[in-house]
Amino acid sequence: MLADDFFLIAWDTTRSGRARLNQQATALGLAGALIGELVLQNRLAVRGPQLRPTARHQAADLLSDRVLAEIRNAPQHTDVRTWLAYLAKDAITSVAERLIRAGLVEHEPPKLLRRRYSRYYSRDFGKATWPSIRLQTALVKGRQMTPADMAMAALVDACGLLDAVVPDPAERPTARRYLAAVLAAMPPPLTDLTRHVQAAVGDAVLAYRT
Amino acid sequence: MLIDHPGSGSGTDTIAGALAADRLGAPSVVYFVLSAAAPLTVVAGVVTTAYAVTGITGLPIAFLVVGAVLALFSVGYVAMARHIANAGAFYAYVTNGLGRPAGVGAAWIALIAYNALQVGLYGALGATAAPLIVQWAGVEIPWWLIALAAWLLVAALGVMRVDVNGRLLAVLLTAEVAVILLFDVADLLNPAAAGAASALSPAALFAPGVGALLVIATTGFVGFESSVVFSEESRDPRRTVPIATYASVAIIAVLYALSSWAMTVATGPEGIVAAARRDGPETIFVLATAHLGDTVVTIARVLFLTSLIAAMISFHNTTARYFFALGRERVLPAAFGRTGRRTGAPKIGSLAQSTLGLIAIVVYAMAGLDPLVHLFFYTGTFGGFGVLLLIAATSVSVVAFFARNPTGESVWRRVAAPVLATAALVTMVSLALANFATLLGAEEDSPLRWALPAIYVVAAALGVAWALVLRATQPGVYARIGMGAKAVTGGAP
Repeated sequence: MLADDFFLIAWDTTRSGRARLNQQATALGLAGALIGELVLQNRLAVRGPQLRPTARHQAADLLSDRVLAEIRNAPQHTDVRTWLAYLAKDAITSVAERLIRAGLVEHEPPKLLRRRYSRYYSRDFGKATWPSIRLQTALVKGRQMTPADMAMAALVDACGLLDAVVPDPAERPTARRYLAAVLAAMPPPLTDLTRHVQAAVGDAVLAYRT
Repeated sequence: MLIDHPGSGSGTDTIAGALAADRLGAPSVVYFVLSAAAPLTVVAGVVTTAYAVTGITGLPIAFLVVGAVLALFSVGYVAMARHIANAGAFYAYVTNGLGRPAGVGAAWIALIAYNALQVGLYGALGATAAPLIVQWAGVEIPWWLIALAAWLLVAALGVMRVDVNGRLLAVLLTAEVAVILLFDVADLLNPAAAGAASALSPAALFAPGVGALLVIATTGFVGFESSVVFSEESRDPRRTVPIATYASVAIIAVLYALSSWAMTVATGPEGIVAAARRDGPETIFVLATAHLGDTVVTIARVLFLTSLIAAMISFHNTTARYFFALGRERVLPAAFGRTGRRTGAPKIGSLAQSTLGLIAIVVYAMAGLDPLVHLFFYTGTFGGFGVLLLIAATSVSVVAFFARNPTGESVWRRVAAPVLATAALVTMVSLALANFATLLGAEEDSPLRWALPAIYVVAAALGVAWALVLRATQPGVYARIGMGAKAVTGGAP
């Protein structure tokens, strides 16, 4: 699932258990990934700044069914940005819960007064690192990518996480060049979606306050 | 955005409800705007130094006049904010009103002005903290060492994306305003002599050097423009943002006019310049000690320092975000549009601002210039003049924008008020240029009186040139100038 993969890239589940990316960008990236899952399943259509549920009824998993139900129940809200903002509010917890249900990660709650955020540790090293390795290899070696992986690459880039996926600075120019080609070839709904995620992440920088 | 849906808001819309939960009402927006304006910094620092440097006493009435002009300007400003993306940055208005080349020119002016305003604060902190440290610890520390310590703090917090907590700022702001009002009352209850109202007479506006006063007063208002930044986050943008903007302008105008007048009452209108020249930023504390006792004055001095530090951090972050916004639109190199991965801070923008601050402190320290007059007051009012230019350009842009898009706003909002505001602002700019030597307390033939305004002219010209280069070489980038978030989304309608 797209959001699971994004979570495993954005979170250092194999060592520190902490996020690799700041809270706001992680949440918006995951919100984008949740919408992206529905787009990839053809259950949701994104066009320009709007999204609309399609006629396709098909149960997938608990979380994405719930997201789709919420979107169906509020037909007056069609702005992608509105849904990104709304889903971002608990995207981190809900995607983490899905990963916990799947037995992929464990949760360590924040200790009172000592830490602000939860930590998540992987239970399967191979599965936890696979999305990141898959993306890195595809970008550096210029491999063919599935639409899901294209969307993941685009979201990772939109949230400013690409450098974490390609840790070697010498490989980054190659990866960025190939990514540009991938983005150009991506289906338009996914392009529109990831651009809105990128804009939302940027706006969060400008409107930041504590 | 959410509020406009007729079907929503009936209590059943959980989406709008969840998103509205942490939305802001007008009082919160006013607090955000005013706390960035750091009132004690203006009253204790800017006002007293202004009396000392310019030697003229019409400042109270200047605050009222500038407040009135800015309120008039705000009518068109908040109206146009509803029609464009990236509201809150003056260059976005100029781009939409006068075209992209002018917009980039305005962006570069803004970068210089906001940086100057931030950098100047290091001088004020160094100059005011040094005597306090002597008094409290008996150690003499040069101003630049204190400034460097503050710089280090600001630079570190900037890249770590630590902003001063909103609640802490609100507490500080409330305390600052309370102290200012207390001092004002004490001053007014203890007038030095008769004829104290003369500084409030409109005749003061026809005294020579009035242009200088108008720039200084404008400097005090900097930050009022940020109210529109909160439109996306406010409960009802059509009401919240205008109310917050007018309220901020009115509060600032009355508070500063009252305080600067109260000082002249306590010293006598003839005595204020001499007192300010003798005591500098100590003036209000010296005046207050006589009537209020040491404890209150000590608290006020500490608040003055915290006010300066809060203003430094706030201006630093504003400027770093400005760099970021320009980087995102590729008006500056794309690197400025990236953020720190873990922190989400506009890292390169923050580092760039800090670099400018460090250069300023080092240059002023090595040249042995005065931190208060030459660093704080000169760069501060230089920045204030830049903001005045931007406001004037924005006002012209509002007129131009609504001339092309005359829908959705009343004639008063799109024509009458903007035209009147533009006339007033252009007059202010020309008076400021005519009196620039007075602003600096320099001789009429000082080269600085032309050199400093010329910096903005050069910056604007280079900005326009850069935009034309972009148009010729990277039309895709050029097309996105001034579009804010839409620059990323490809301008989808």
